[in-house]
Amino acid sequence: MATQVFKLPESLKGDVKYSFCPGCDHGVAVRLIAEVLDELGIRENTILAASIGCSVTIYDYINVDSLEAPHGRAMAEATGIKRARPDKIVFTYQGDGDFASIGLAESMHAALRGENLTAICINNTTYGMTGGQLGPTTLLGQVTTTSPTGRNVDYYGYPIKIAEHIALCDGTAFSARVSLDTVANIKKAKQAIKKAFEVQIHGLGLGFVEILSTCPTNWKMSPDKAHERVRNEMMPVFKPGIYKDKTN
Amino acid sequence: MEKNFIIAGFGGQGVLLAGEVLANAFMLAGKNVTWYPSYGAEMRGGTVNCEVVMSDEDVSEVNKSDADFIIALNQASFDRFLSKIKKGGLMIANSTLVKEIKTRTDINYLFAPITKLAEELGNVKMANILALGILAKAGKIVSLDALNQALDNVIPPHRKNLLPLNLKALKIGYEYDLLPAKI
Amino acid sequence: MVECLTNKKVLTKGNYAIANAAVIAGCQCYFGYPITPQSEIGEFMSGKMQELKRGYVSAESELAAINMTIGAVSTGVKAMTSSSSCAVALMQEGLSYATTDELPVVLVSVMRGGPGLGNIYPSQGDYFQATKGGGNGDYKLIVLAPSTVQECVDLTYKAFYLAQKYRNPTVLLADGLLGQMMEPVEFYDYPYPEIDNSGWALTGAKGRDGRIIRSYGPLADDRCVFLEKLYEKYRKIEENETEWEEINTGDADIILTSFGSTSRNVKTAMKISREKGIKAGFFRPVTLYPFPNKRLKELSKTVKKIVTVEVNMGQMVNDVKLAVNGACPVELIHKGVGAPPSAKEIVKKVEELI
Repeated sequence: MATQVFKLPESLKGDVKYSFCPGCDHGVAVRLIAEVLDELGIRENTILAASIGCSVTIYDYINVDSLEAPHGRAMAEATGIKRARPDKIVFTYQGDGDFASIGLAESMHAALRGENLTAICINNTTYGMTGGQLGPTTLLGQVTTTSPTGRNVDYYGYPIKIAEHIALCDGTAFSARVSLDTVANIKKAKQAIKKAFEVQIHGLGLGFVEILSTCPTNWKMSPDKAHERVRNEMMPVFKPGIYKDKTN
Repeated sequence: MEKNFIIAGFGGQGVLLAGEVLANAFMLAGKNVTWYPSYGAEMRGGTVNCEVVMSDEDVSEVNKSDADFIIALNQASFDRFLSKIKKGGLMIANSTLVKEIKTRTDINYLFAPITKLAEELGNVKMANILALGILAKAGKIVSLDALNQALDNVIPPHRKNLLPLNLKALKIGYEYDLLPAKI
Repeated sequence: MVECLTNKKVLTKGNYAIANAAVIAGCQCYFGYPITPQSEIGEFMSGKMQELKRGYVSAESELAAINMTIGAVSTGVKAMTSSSSCAVALMQEGLSYATTDELPVVLVSVMRGGPGLGNIYPSQGDYFQATKGGGNGDYKLIVLAPSTVQECVDLTYKAFYLAQKYRNPTVLLADGLLGQMMEPVEFYDYPYPEIDNSGWALTGAKGRDGRIIRSYGPLADDRCVFLEKLYEKYRKIEENETEWEEINTGDADIILTSFGSTSRNVKTAMKISREKGIKAGFFRPVTLYPFPNKRLKELSKTVKKIVTVEVNMGQMVNDVKLAVNGACPVELIHKGVGAPPSAKEIVKKVEELI
């Protein structure tokens, strides 16, 4: 008798075409979230506040109730959902531009208030959907369409280390940075995502995961090279790790 | 019939509260009434005032340009509002803090040492309520009973211990025996 | 369940009247950021909502406040935010999203002087902001304009009802004068039926597929269909919900029209004009959207002149002109900011215009 060793998570819609670019890590991140929703058995009790950018399409793939927030406002809308329905599990899925640039105030204040929410932020060091412009996490020296000679401090200032900042907020229960460049790291990432939901379920405050991700199209790299860049250029600056864990 | 009142003083003299008590008294008497304060930036420093309009019909206007009765608890208010009293109207002034100078001859004045009377009662903060007692007696437009009931309405539950003192201030004002000197 | 404070009248400020009416109407969540002259609404809500174990957030900005409100109403509960002029400006993006999301957001806008920071005195300078909107795209907000503190109560109830009934953001457009003044009011139980929103609200996809509330419409043709449908809804609102007050219009030569707190003085000016032998009438739109176009058009055929009185540089006058479409002259009496012009001042100008 055959044993099934791999199947589509029930929290994913099976019959949709993904619009993510080949080699982009969004697809992996979305799947990990779906697996976590399955494992925690919370799909039918979960509401998503979606964002603007490539991340927005998550609501086409994950089979939960979803509200599409304006750019940067996902944490505010998630706050409203949670305050109206405290019994629901509420999460956001945002890019670094949405979470840490235009939405930084909403993100920080949700963390400071200790909202019982889960926030997943994809950090790919660029504005992906609009064509690879400089974002809040663009690395020093990185060439983008709006930093044609590379990010220099004089013109652009420094990139933000999101997970560290969110960890500093007293209302944050869990803050981690993970990457999806190897199978081992993908496993770690899933553990972190699960923990970020668990702290919400236990009412401990904000659960946050920053996921280092590739953008092969705008980086103009093959998927392999893109993951090498994650390892060689991003990780030295954005160090993976758990920056806060109130359950410890 | 419609009558318009302005209560004015400096911040801390409780003019807004006095106006609220007066407006409540009119409401309890079955009249239409509006209360409108000076607010925000106006309240920093200078004078604070509120307007109470009582009417048998719909109140015709808010923020009127003149008044039938004015209570001025300090000099600045007296100076600012003297010109706003209608011909034949009544200016009740706190003579503890206002000079008894009668520049207008077409209005009635009632100078009473309101702050001093409140101090004698033991609490200078009662000046506002005491002034309402004087208004009740001199204006003949609101009864002492209605003001007593209004005080009970306005003073919140956790401050009810202050009700007896307020009622006493009202009574002292009402019994202050000085008829308006007509000029 | 909140019981009414009293069946008798209580003397209260417009801001408190609005807040208390919202609580009685079943508002489950309030989100706001302080700004004069409406801060009393948030102050009242901060205590009351916690006491009743409902939602309250002292938001980090008006941007956040409107989006928190959107989040809350998306789950099917009644929720509101409140603000004033330069800060309502920050909410325009959210209001545009809420129309296309078809979400029953209730916004209380207590107007102050503008433009920019302006000042804290009463004003009607945000008629355009409320009725025309500063957000992007084709949309309408339902706009209700109270003229008394009692109407602050009545129209707050109605704002929640219409927002729910039509799934469209609804604005209670008050001003600093109404917000700060006290009048005797009567609170009573929420008089409208509760709307069933189980067919669209986000409640967790129990036993069903997930629902998506979104404003993104990537395909041009689909968007055209959506907009036509949205405007079909607006036509229904115009048909069913247009509300106004009119006095002495039957034999009037001149009609004075005005909205909100200014109309109090205008009504008095109409009475004084009558005493002076001027056949004046009074017309007050209660709903600014939908605007009483039809009725004004009818009246324009029997009167010699319509005069609008506003505390702004002339905003509603444009809608009056559109409504009468040249059938009679339309004049404006205005004051830039502050308490409304006095009845006497209005009468004097009316005499000049006759």
